[in-house]
Amino acid sequence: MFVIMIYDVGERRVAKMLKIGRKYLNWVQNSVLEGELSEGLLAKLKAEVKQKIDHESDSVIFYTWRSERYTAREVIGIERNEINIIV
Amino acid sequence: MGKTIYIFSAGELKRKENTVVFEGEDGRKFLPVETTDELMIFGEVSLNKRFLEFCTVSHVPLHFFNHHGYYQGSYSPREFLNSGATILAQAACYLDHEKRVDIARRIVCGAMENMAVVLNYYRRRGNESLVSMLSNIESYKGKLDKSDSVAEIMGLEGNGREAYYSAFDHITGGGPFAFDVRSRRPPQNRMNALISFLNSMCYVTALSQIYRTHLDPRIGFLHETNFRRFSLNLDVAEIFKPILVDRIIFSLINKKVIQAKHFEDGPSGGIYLQESGRKIVVSAWEERLQQTIDHPRLKRKVSYRGLMRMEVHKLEKHILGDQTYEPHISGW
Repeated sequence: MFVIMIYDVGERRVAKMLKIGRKYLNWVQNSVLEGELSEGLLAKLKAEVKQKIDHESDSVIFYTWRSERYTAREVIGIERNEINIIV
Repeated sequence: MGKTIYIFSAGELKRKENTVVFEGEDGRKFLPVETTDELMIFGEVSLNKRFLEFCTVSHVPLHFFNHHGYYQGSYSPREFLNSGATILAQAACYLDHEKRVDIARRIVCGAMENMAVVLNYYRRRGNESLVSMLSNIESYKGKLDKSDSVAEIMGLEGNGREAYYSAFDHITGGGPFAFDVRSRRPPQNRMNALISFLNSMCYVTALSQIYRTHLDPRIGFLHETNFRRFSLNLDVAEIFKPILVDRIIFSLINKKVIQAKHFEDGPSGGIYLQESGRKIVVSAWEERLQQTIDHPRLKRKVSYRGLMRMEVHKLEKHILGDQTYEPHISGW
């Protein structure tokens, strides 16, 4: 499924969230990652996130779609990280 | 099912923050390791042991190609699906003449049927000159049942492919992509360069799929097992070459996506795809592999890459005596 992960966490945990997110998803802009994941991988990602956040003050949001086809994407300004399978 | 990443730029591959990072001229690029299935490396890339160790634990095989786009070799992580029983059964099948001939025959039969499917597709679109090649392939296929050695089956495969290749100019209309004869190492014209490049992509993709099963890629049935190379992936690719490689070639040429300007002369003779051409072909290849078809038996959509994996699983079942192997025949 297509996943967008957005996090708003305490300053000390920002880098941790980024590290976890990058293993599964493509970084898009500060605190936002997106990509295609299977249900299993998404569960794994959530489990890792749950371990690292402070449940009292942090929040991480996952938006999920059945597939990327149901989403539209428009970038205004610069594209900070183009996602491509050809590097 | 994860992604395949193709690296054309020069730079360094590293393990960083428990994921893969590529540092090139255009800066740092993180590649999500959990969703990466394999890396295809065409550019000048340097890497270290730490990175290879990371590839092993993440089950990411690396495939390397040289300056001309020829397959050079792979870094295959330690086998993680160890099944002694399967490997023994596979070797036993290879050593048992009857069983080996049977599997080889099935593979060639599937390959020929897929060739016929491709030619029939163009014949239905009004290309009546293909009828003679179709009947040639049909007659070679008929002889398969009477052949009782692998060498003979290989020979028939060669004959069938020759008949099939003679249809290429009728489909593309010759021109800058005239086929003439099959020439390898080095390819003598643009069509041969395209076939060689895409065939090697097909072999490597099959190899990656075999890595994800219990079978050993070193023991092939149609192709002789020897001391040097993988051969099971060549067997699997045989079935898929007509429907993947050749159809991509026809569509790239007929839609004029790939043109004469995408090729260059090699320094020591031969014609090769240029980097720009290689990128076009690789994206078309990847797009085709991700394309899905409705699987008649599973009643769900399966990508061509998934289909290739299923083909290996079917072979495994055949070898273990669970289910007779029937090669995938394309529906159109």
